[in-house]
Amino acid sequence: MTQSPTLSRRPPRSAPSQPRTSRRPTSKRSGADARAGYTFLLPWLLGFIALTVGPMISSLYLSFTNYNLFDAPKWIGLDNYVTMFQDERFLQSVGVTVGYVVFGTPLKLAAALAVAMLLNSARKGQGFYRSAFYAPSLIGASVSIAIVWKAMFGDAGPVDQGLSFFGINLGGWVGNPSMTMAMFILLTVWQFGAPMVIFLAGLKQIPADLYEAASMDGAGPVRKFFNITWPMLSPVVFFNLLMETIHAFQIFSSAYIISNGEGGPAGSTLFYTLYLYLRGFSDFRMGYASAMAWLLVVVVGVITLIFFKTSKSWVHYSGDSK
Amino acid sequence: MISRRSFITTVAIGSASAAALAACGSPAASQTGSAENPVTINYTWWGNDDRAERTRKAIALFEGKNPDIKVNGNFTDFAGYWQKRATEAAGGGLPDVMQWDLSYLRDYGQRNQLLDLGTVKINTDAFEKSLLPSGQIKGKTYGIPTSTNAFAVYYDPAKLASLGITEPTGKWTYKDYNAFLAEVGAKGNGALFGATDYTSVWWMFNIWLRQNNIEAFTEDGKLGFTKDDLKKWWNVTAELRGTPAIVSEERVTQLAPKSPFGSNVTGSEVTWDNFMASYLGDSGAKELKLVPVPSDDADNLGLFLKPSMLMVASAKTKYKDAAARFIDFMVNDPEVGQIFKTSRGVPASKTQRDGTTFEGTDKLVVDYEKSIEQYLKDAPEPPIVGFGTLESSFKRVASDLNYGKLTVDGAADAWFKEAEDLIKQNA
Repeated sequence: MTQSPTLSRRPPRSAPSQPRTSRRPTSKRSGADARAGYTFLLPWLLGFIALTVGPMISSLYLSFTNYNLFDAPKWIGLDNYVTMFQDERFLQSVGVTVGYVVFGTPLKLAAALAVAMLLNSARKGQGFYRSAFYAPSLIGASVSIAIVWKAMFGDAGPVDQGLSFFGINLGGWVGNPSMTMAMFILLTVWQFGAPMVIFLAGLKQIPADLYEAASMDGAGPVRKFFNITWPMLSPVVFFNLLMETIHAFQIFSSAYIISNGEGGPAGSTLFYTLYLYLRGFSDFRMGYASAMAWLLVVVVGVITLIFFKTSKSWVHYSGDSK
Repeated sequence: MISRRSFITTVAIGSASAAALAACGSPAASQTGSAENPVTINYTWWGNDDRAERTRKAIALFEGKNPDIKVNGNFTDFAGYWQKRATEAAGGGLPDVMQWDLSYLRDYGQRNQLLDLGTVKINTDAFEKSLLPSGQIKGKTYGIPTSTNAFAVYYDPAKLASLGITEPTGKWTYKDYNAFLAEVGAKGNGALFGATDYTSVWWMFNIWLRQNNIEAFTEDGKLGFTKDDLKKWWNVTAELRGTPAIVSEERVTQLAPKSPFGSNVTGSEVTWDNFMASYLGDSGAKELKLVPVPSDDADNLGLFLKPSMLMVASAKTKYKDAAARFIDFMVNDPEVGQIFKTSRGVPASKTQRDGTTFEGTDKLVVDYEKSIEQYLKDAPEPPIVGFGTLESSFKRVASDLNYGKLTVDGAADAWFKEAEDLIKQNA
């Protein structure tokens, strides 16, 4: 579930449009180009239709039905969407997930930005540090890390022992409902590698002479950060914030492993997707699970929209008149 | 968006088995093989490495005696097992032969996913007649019990001796048992707790209902007990929660998937008698003993023999005969009994039981089931559709109760709400 690090900050805008003065007219040649293009696109397109669009449409249909995997789906209209909001476990899963997104994502981005700034200056062994910090996010979503995490925070695990060395006796975190969220947030913060790499690329783009000029004017590091780094980096921050938020809503495998697939203790790790999965595959309520999935799509869509709308006030693109 | 992810998982899991059944066209005919050209049937079970090793031995034995059939074995743990079966069933690709649990028999049997084993040749002459109905729904046989198990209270005599506690006799009321737990907890001094909260176990509740002459489910698939019954039950240990008599839910969660008893954290545990082998393995104890569960009515212990596991076949298997021969072999062959001993429970077929020598701890389990014979009543019929969900939500709600997140009344309300919703769903 690791997202692949995208080094390009934004897709190049209007790259394919040819200058008007292009000597090439709309001819047989470009028709052939298009055909070749679509031919090469075909495998992906087929896969996209068969494996993404198809299942999505059928799950949209199923979300209006009562479907138990065995009998034919029964049309029940909006019932699934209505009962959801009377389902205490559903509401609990929303609470858990929102808490995770709201606290986990900013912390992760802060860690990513802080480390990216440290690694930005040329030092010895820079390559090593960059790889070392990036590594956790490569292996981050794997089952093995979840198992290691569970062992680390378990009863008499290294974390418990380390803390008790300093006189802090929290016991294991895995079984303590008030500590499990902290454990999951630490896990996601630890996997800051992907946004860090993107931040690094963004930092490289900031012209050094801006900092030189600011130094000349007597600006300190804090001022430089808020007046140069932050505005110059804001498109990258925006991109990372968006991606990481969407990503955080989708947390599943680590929650599944650490809680033995149950969302315990006391429902404290009942993430949205985990409950969705349990509804579908343990309780045979596939229609309900599909409704949950679609609600998630809509909510993530709305949040993305809000991000885009509000971004105008704080994201600055070079060349903008602001 | 995540729905796509989980659907991809589904597809991945499904396609593996779907490939095997892609050609599944005419379920009516049964294909047969020969020694030169054997047919391959898929067999799946849940369990640990120990069971996998024993199963491999049994399969090798079967293949040696039946050169025209190859068995392709595959196993997972119990929790993942049912999710996998659900996805396979949705894709029409259940394995040919499966180990099965009573909790899920109705879900799949009633929905035509399982083969009516009455239509194939499986010898059930050596089975206790009172046991077979537990594999039957509306007169059709969907599952053959491999073995039986019964509920019991485990304890470790060496641990009790070291604390200076006399061993229990098993003739006890709930009050006696609670006093025993309190004593273990008090003398255990933080190192040893009494037990896991036994009121969080569905089957123990079921036994208590039977002790009070209440059936858990009615004929028409509804609940046979009231919310007050459940409240009464969860109040049985109300005074013990939060004391050393009951191990904290935090520890229980942290120790999972091992049980606190297997981890040497509690002095006793109420559960199925066939857990003996795995408890011995987990705890490293020299000896563990079994006594009957407590009851306030000395003549009615509410105990019954449950098929600890069943063998079932997929309704869509192409190899009905091969599947039937494999099931027949696994439940009846004396040598298979020698391989599994009591690790699946006490063999259900007399042929298999007589052909097996039980020694040491295996003998303890067999002796225990003999000792409670006079108290045994008919095994319950396969529980209602969706029972697997009810059972796990029972455990979850009871766990919330032990975490102090719910009161007894709140817990009973929460479980009833889920149960009623589920029954309505499946009506």
